Amino acid sequence: MMRRPRSSTTCSLLAGAVGLLVAMLALSPVAAQSTGEKFARLPIRSDGPKSLDPAKGSTSYDNQVVCQIYETLLQYKYLVRPDSVTSYEDVSEPLLLAEMPKVSDEADGKQVWKFKLRDDVFFHDDACFPGGKGRKLATDDVFYSWKRLADPKYEYENYWLLQDTILGLDEFKEKFATRQPSKSEPNPPPPPPFDYAAPVEGFRKLSDTEFEVILKKSVVRFGWVISMFQTSIVAREAVEKYGDTLGKHPVGTGPFILKNESDWKPGQNMILHRNPNYRTELYPSEATPKEKEQGLLASAGQKLPLLDRIELTFYTPDPVMWQDFQDRKIALVQVPAEYFEKAFVKRTKRLTKEYSDNGIQAEAVPLLDFIFRGFNMEDPILGGYDEKRTKIRQAISLAVDLDEHNDTFYNGINVVYDGPIPPPLDGFPKNGKAPNSFRGPNLRKARELLAEAGYPEGRGLPEIEYYTSKGSNQAEQTQAEIRQLARIGIRLNPKMVDFSELIEAINQKKAQMFGFAWGSDYPDPENNLALFYSRNKAPGANHYNYDRPEFDKLYEQIIVMKPGPERTSIIEQMRDMVIADVPFVGSMARTRFYLAHPFLKNFKPSEDFYNWFKYLDVDASAPR
Amino acid sequence: MWSYVARRLLYSIPVYLGIILIMMGALRLRDPVSAYLGKNATAETALLKKASMGLDRPFLPIGIEDPAEPFGIEPIVEVGRVGFYPPLRTQYVEFLWRILRFDFGTAERPYRSWQFESDNVGAKLADAVWPTLKITIPALVLTATIAILVGLLSAAYRGSVLDKTLMVLVVLGMSISVVVFIVLGQVFGSSWLNGKLGFELFASNGYEPGIQNWVKYCALPVIIGVVVGMGYDARFYRAVMVEETSRDYITTAVAKGAPRHKIIFVHMLKNAMIPVITRIMITIPFLITGSIVMEYQFRIPGMGKLLIDAIVNKDFPIIQTFTAVLAGLFILTNILTDVLYALVDPRVRLA
Repeated sequence: MMRRPRSSTTCSLLAGAVGLLVAMLALSPVAAQSTGEKFARLPIRSDGPKSLDPAKGSTSYDNQVVCQIYETLLQYKYLVRPDSVTSYEDVSEPLLLAEMPKVSDEADGKQVWKFKLRDDVFFHDDACFPGGKGRKLATDDVFYSWKRLADPKYEYENYWLLQDTILGLDEFKEKFATRQPSKSEPNPPPPPPFDYAAPVEGFRKLSDTEFEVILKKSVVRFGWVISMFQTSIVAREAVEKYGDTLGKHPVGTGPFILKNESDWKPGQNMILHRNPNYRTELYPSEATPKEKEQGLLASAGQKLPLLDRIELTFYTPDPVMWQDFQDRKIALVQVPAEYFEKAFVKRTKRLTKEYSDNGIQAEAVPLLDFIFRGFNMEDPILGGYDEKRTKIRQAISLAVDLDEHNDTFYNGINVVYDGPIPPPLDGFPKNGKAPNSFRGPNLRKARELLAEAGYPEGRGLPEIEYYTSKGSNQAEQTQAEIRQLARIGIRLNPKMVDFSELIEAINQKKAQMFGFAWGSDYPDPENNLALFYSRNKAPGANHYNYDRPEFDKLYEQIIVMKPGPERTSIIEQMRDMVIADVPFVGSMARTRFYLAHPFLKNFKPSEDFYNWFKYLDVDASAPR
Repeated sequence: MWSYVARRLLYSIPVYLGIILIMMGALRLRDPVSAYLGKNATAETALLKKASMGLDRPFLPIGIEDPAEPFGIEPIVEVGRVGFYPPLRTQYVEFLWRILRFDFGTAERPYRSWQFESDNVGAKLADAVWPTLKITIPALVLTATIAILVGLLSAAYRGSVLDKTLMVLVVLGMSISVVVFIVLGQVFGSSWLNGKLGFELFASNGYEPGIQNWVKYCALPVIIGVVVGMGYDARFYRAVMVEETSRDYITTAVAKGAPRHKIIFVHMLKNAMIPVITRIMITIPFLITGSIVMEYQFRIPGMGKLLIDAIVNKDFPIIQTFTAVLAGLFILTNILTDVLYALVDPRVRLA
């Protein structure tokens, strides 16, 4: 038998390998096939949503996708961005409703919200419906969707939105809740199976398109809640057909659909297509002056959505997202802090010449942030409401230089303000400065207060344990705080911990002082003032364990009060009360900067709501 | 040999049980539910989440002092204040039973990821394996082949310019952070190159299944993996080969006039196979687990990215299962390595 020469075998192997590579290259979709559809690739700066079921969603990343597919009764007006917001009516408009809800107060303190659904809303076509044809939205769908939030199957993740609000809903929830064993009842009976047919006193059906919701009392929050994606309307048929997998198989009424489950690659990307049966919903013709000047009304009256397809890419590493924007692979980008100075002149916050010459569009989006350093008001050294301890906290507040933090760590783009209410909410102090401000740096005053508290130059004051989470530039920020407080003789002992450990320390009231942040769930100051309500003390959201009966009394007033000057005045009173007591050092709100390529039209991002993808358009003739 | 394998497997059982016990205990040092739910979770939500994962049940079937507090389940037998629980209802035994059946969730018996509540843990792991293997297997084969070749040549020509040049190159590869290579790869190997070519040869990030997409999405990570990984391997293989060059059998072969290439590629390579195999075998579990940095930076939905995402999002079921699978793989790989020793070197006995 003849052996083939070795060199020949090597050559064959090499040729084979090269052939395989060429074949793979030939098969490789190097040039995407053009489908003639108008589409935009948009980034989501995270690994994307975890579930597309509104009842399970909680993060803004869930929101960004869910609200393209599902819809709520109300929505935010896209082009109405007022400088201050007092009521949900200032910025909301009907989405699934034919008109704004009619609200009437009853003599017994209850409040009735009368809703009228649009007559032309249909669910997406889906196999869960007879013949695969989406049926018309009806009153029962609203009741069903909201009852789901009370279903223990969904672990009450979003029940807080409706808690203590709708007449009979809390009782309905309790009826089906698992009772926890206790010493007196070690083996409680199991709850009955959840029954969606069981009545809720506050849900009153008038017809298939009209219904009333009776609130236990006037709840201002409710007007905001019905715009939140967690209260989106789902189809019972879809929930029953897809069960646990509804999160991957959404069936809504929104402008976009997830055609196939394979169009969502978790952690990677998602393709949403235009809902071919979407009702006639038009691009808005109402706008605030700034938005008018920006030419954002050019598409007014056009049928939504304007794009045939949106391709969402989920980015966890910022550099990759940034590079893809440079390569024009994505239409817009949220500017990561480390790239701010590539795109903007730090001093003026204007685009660099290179970017503006290239027609890049820029938008600054203020966030409803409350970034602060909190105190445990039950701490024996720093807590309490007596003069001595209050002065220590006031001194600390006066020693911290938030403007320096803003310049050093946030490129100077944050809004520094007094109190817990960020702009543009009702109660935000004029120019961010409250009349009784304890905002630093004012070292002279800080030293005076410290001396009056019995700790001249900090002598005799023990080291303060300061808990803050690791990550980002927290270590550097903490060093700045140590230095700033050292100027008045106060020593910080930093505890850089994981976020879960930070939460644990706060919940167990172990953290004397802690770095934290709060993002408002809806633009009403009540949401932020709830952080100081004594019934919310740790492990609730009142991480400071702030407990002042007069504050509580005012809080209970504002949650049921109609927006107006009287309510605003009480809110300001509460804000100033908190500022004087200094349960936190603060505050800051971030501003997020977005960039978009010139081919993207109607670009007006927001992080208060995310269903604005339907308004986006592209200039198909522009280079991509 | 089979009796040896059976014996090793048997000996490994207590080791594995111990690993799982320690791992599960460690994961429960801090409450996984409050870590996952974050700052605004209600106590009710936390209890339901705990119950969904069985975290409200005893960890071990021993040492329960009060059945109602804190676990709140009914004991089958109560002796004084000590309750006896059916072992299968305890977290440890239940999880072992799951591993034994390799049951990480089915449509009938779901075992859900916490972050992706529509997905079973098993399905998430299965989905992540292939993208990882598409990177790690080519990278391992190429790295090992090139590194062995470099090691052999460097050892054979020790001290020469060739040796020094090869070593400088491979050390350069391993001395620079993989992140730098990734960034350079994305900027020059993808953006710049694609701009020059006029089409997208290598994607800077992302992943699409299908062999036809391999070059676009996987080639760049593989190339970077080889460049970074080769230094460690080549230096190791060189050291092994250098040691072999001073052996008597090499002297004998030279004395008998065997050709140089035969000495290097036949005699030396064959006798150096044990450390080579060890080196390759210890990387096998990592073929499955993937490279966290590479997958994260290239957004490849493999096992490494799954793990890091699970850690970031406190996805307890994924972390627990992933760790258990990884531990099992290590044990199996160790046994396989020992068996391979015997196959390549008759002097090694499987006693």
